[in-house]
Amino acid sequence: MTVPDVLAFYVLAVLILVSASMVILAPRMYLSVVSLFFLVIFSSFLYFGLNASYIAIFQFLLCGLCLFLYIFLLLKKIGRLNLRLKLVSPFKLVFRTFFVFIFGVLTYLFFVEEFSNSLFDVFSFVSEKSSDVIDFATHIFPLHLVLILVVISAIVIRIFLLSYQNSEAISEDSKQKEGKND
Amino acid sequence: MIDNLLNIGLMHYLVLSFLLFLIGLVGVLVSRNLLRIVMSLFILSVSIVINFIAFGYYCDNSLDNANIISLFVILISAIQTIIALVILYKIYLANEFLDAEKTKDKEI
Repeated sequence: MTVPDVLAFYVLAVLILVSASMVILAPRMYLSVVSLFFLVIFSSFLYFGLNASYIAIFQFLLCGLCLFLYIFLLLKKIGRLNLRLKLVSPFKLVFRTFFVFIFGVLTYLFFVEEFSNSLFDVFSFVSEKSSDVIDFATHIFPLHLVLILVVISAIVIRIFLLSYQNSEAISEDSKQKEGKND
Repeated sequence: MIDNLLNIGLMHYLVLSFLLFLIGLVGVLVSRNLLRIVMSLFILSVSIVINFIAFGYYCDNSLDNANIISLFVILISAIQTIIALVILYKIYLANEFLDAEKTKDKEI
C-alpha cells in the first residue's frame, strides 16, 4: 500500500467518525442532517478505495441525494429545520454511554479471548484461496423482488393513511352533527 | 506498532466500522429527537456496509458477493429510513413534537 493510500484511509476514517459524531452532537437539526450527508459522501469515497465503485455511486445517489433531499424537505415542511436538539438527562446520558462502553469492552475481550490463540483464527479464511466465482449480474436478479416489495408497502401505507384520514373526517362530521342536535 | 499502523488491512476497516457502530448505538440511546434516532440507525447500517465491503475486498473472489449484500443493506436501510420518516411525520401531525421522552408517555 502506498503512502497516499494510507493517508487517504486515515483522513477518511477521521472524517467519517467526526461527521457521525456531529450527527449526534450537533446543536441544531440542519447541522445534524448536513453531517449525515457528509457521512454518506465520505463513506462513498471509502468504498471507492475498496474497489466497490458501484456501491459508492448507488449509496451517493440513493442516500446522499434522494434521502438527504427527502429529510431536508420534510423538515422544511414541518418548520423544524432550525430546531434546537437536546440529549437525554445527564444521568441517563452517563448511564447509557457507560452501557455502550461496557458493550465495546466485552466485544473486544470476546474477540481477544476466543480468536487470538493459535488453534483457531476467525479470519483465517481471508488468506485462504476460494474456488467460488460469483457473477454479479446473475445474482442481482432478486432486486426486482425488493422493488415490488417497496411498491406494495408504499401502496399499503397510502391506503392506511387514506383510511385513517377518512375515519378522522367521519368522526369530526359525527361530532358536528351531535353539536347541532344539542 | 508503526508497521501495523502503516500496513492498512482488514483489521483497520473492522476497527473503523466498530467505532462507527458504537457511535450509532450511542446516538440511538442518548438522543431525544426521534428523527436523530432514525439517522443514528442509518449510521449503524453504514458501519455494516463498510464491514461487508472490507471483507469482500480482502477475501478472494468475494467482492461481488459483498457488493450484492451491501446493495441490499443500503436499499433496505434507505427504505426503512423513509418509512420511519413517514411514521414520524404522522406522529408530528398528531402531537406537534418529535420528542421521544414525551412521545413514550403519550398514548398513540
